[in-house]
Amino acid sequence: MHFLNLLRNEVTKLTRHILLYFSLFAAGLVCVIIYFVGGQLSDSATTNAWGYVAFSMQMVFTDIGPVLVISVAARLVALETRGGTIRSLLAAPVYRWEIYAAKAVTGLLYMIVFSATTLLISALLARIHYHFGAVSDAYGVVYNPTQVFHAFLIGYALSWVPLVALVMYGILISTVFKNVGTATSVGITSLFLIDFTKHLIGLDPFVFTRDINYSWLTLQQMTQGMDYAWRPEVWRMITLSGVSAIIAFGIGLVIFVREDLNH
Amino acid sequence: MTTSPPALMLDQLSKHFGRLQAVDNLSLQIEAGQMAGFLGPNGAGKSTTLYMIPRLVRPTTGRIEIFGVDIWRDYKRAIRNVGITVEVPAFYEFLSGRANLELTARVLGKVSSLEIDEILERIGLADRQHDRVRVYSTGMRQRLGIGRAMLGRPRFLILDEPTNGMDPEGTDEMLSFLREKVRNEGLTIFISSHLMSEIEEFCDTVYVINHGRLVASGGVRELLKAHERIVRVTFQGQPPTREFLSHHEQIRKVEVIAADTMEITLARDDAAWLNQYLQKEGFRVSAIASKRKTLKEFFLSITGGGKV
Repeated sequence: MHFLNLLRNEVTKLTRHILLYFSLFAAGLVCVIIYFVGGQLSDSATTNAWGYVAFSMQMVFTDIGPVLVISVAARLVALETRGGTIRSLLAAPVYRWEIYAAKAVTGLLYMIVFSATTLLISALLARIHYHFGAVSDAYGVVYNPTQVFHAFLIGYALSWVPLVALVMYGILISTVFKNVGTATSVGITSLFLIDFTKHLIGLDPFVFTRDINYSWLTLQQMTQGMDYAWRPEVWRMITLSGVSAIIAFGIGLVIFVREDLNH
Repeated sequence: MTTSPPALMLDQLSKHFGRLQAVDNLSLQIEAGQMAGFLGPNGAGKSTTLYMIPRLVRPTTGRIEIFGVDIWRDYKRAIRNVGITVEVPAFYEFLSGRANLELTARVLGKVSSLEIDEILERIGLADRQHDRVRVYSTGMRQRLGIGRAMLGRPRFLILDEPTNGMDPEGTDEMLSFLREKVRNEGLTIFISSHLMSEIEEFCDTVYVINHGRLVASGGVRELLKAHERIVRVTFQGQPPTREFLSHHEQIRKVEVIAADTMEITLARDDAAWLNQYLQKEGFRVSAIASKRKTLKEFFLSITGGGKV
């Protein structure tokens, strides 16, 4: 019961903050820009509505999506510890792990809302010019709209997996860096630093951020007529992102539960 | 016959941050239904001690019990009856005062909207309850902090500098209200404050720490009485010289107040002995009285003049 109440509180705090609405607005704006840019393209990336949606989602989650998700996650703990509200929170009959878990779930809820909003706007924009029809692959196999829709649902659910790791990483940063501004900066900077250098130092196969666009890229390829197969690549993605999420959550939780909050 | 456990029991509590020993083997016990003051110079370990109660700071060694429940064994049960506000209370600035209270009420799970109304009325913020906290003054925040600590009708309040930033009238009103709660509802309050006159006036007992150690504790009046070592003497005729008196081992300090009046600080609280001694030495005493120390004077004398 306490946990649910804590979760409600976390959601209340998030919904009263401008960053939530700004991020949704920003995602919508990017979708609109992509729509106009995509409208100029004549290649197969935007030949049907499914392809447009996959393309739009891919574009959003290439840059602005991860940045906004990590920005929100990075403020969840830092806002409390820096502002001192963590003291009053802990003076209530709740355990620290419950607070941390409530924040993690709030971060995940935000990630789902953000991703769903982006998908919805992309789909609405797609309907203006394109049609959610059947798709055929290179071998001439035709997938009816229902089959493609199911594939999209699976792809959409799978796209959450690396985002879960991203949220947990953001909360870990938020636990280590007590200042909201610092935590956000470190979160975003490290995200880009890792992305830009992982190839150079041979870490690419071990960093989950490589998979943030994996689902949408695969879906887009599918709508372009390429044969697609989720396996075995998807298992690697789930394992890498899952392990990363668990490690980030575990480290953050241990730090949060054990640290002295007298600052 | 069973005795009720103390509201708070700190048993050999220690905390060090690296080489700094913030709290050193501190033991104290606050009985239920008391208003107890907590004093100490800056850096004496007051806040660290208070932070250890809601587990904001993990003790290096020692035990903390609230109404007989160890906070490291069953935190939820231990803290259920406690309301705490530490230093300048922090709030979600982007929410209203009422919304802040509602968040805490939701976590406590047993607070009605009516109770929030009552508390807002009681702390004088009913008119401003819908304003965002970011526009509140320090005094208003303090009052809101006390209001938040009182949500869920706790049996034990721990208040760290609760009157910081309040005007004298507001301070008096708030402390009187808390005192009334102690008297009428059996509430226990542990209050840290730098306003020693208020502690002296409103608290039953006082605990003084210095360098993380408990240096004095007990009933406020008893404590002051036990340390009443300054005796004011008025002489008839020639008074003794300062040098004459200073030679006696029982006399610590002599201060000439007027031509016939002196204030003599004794090694022990014994004005009768001084009277006999002066008479024996041939001085005629027309009046002799122990000078009552204020809590501030007492505090300064045992902490070496540190700031609270």
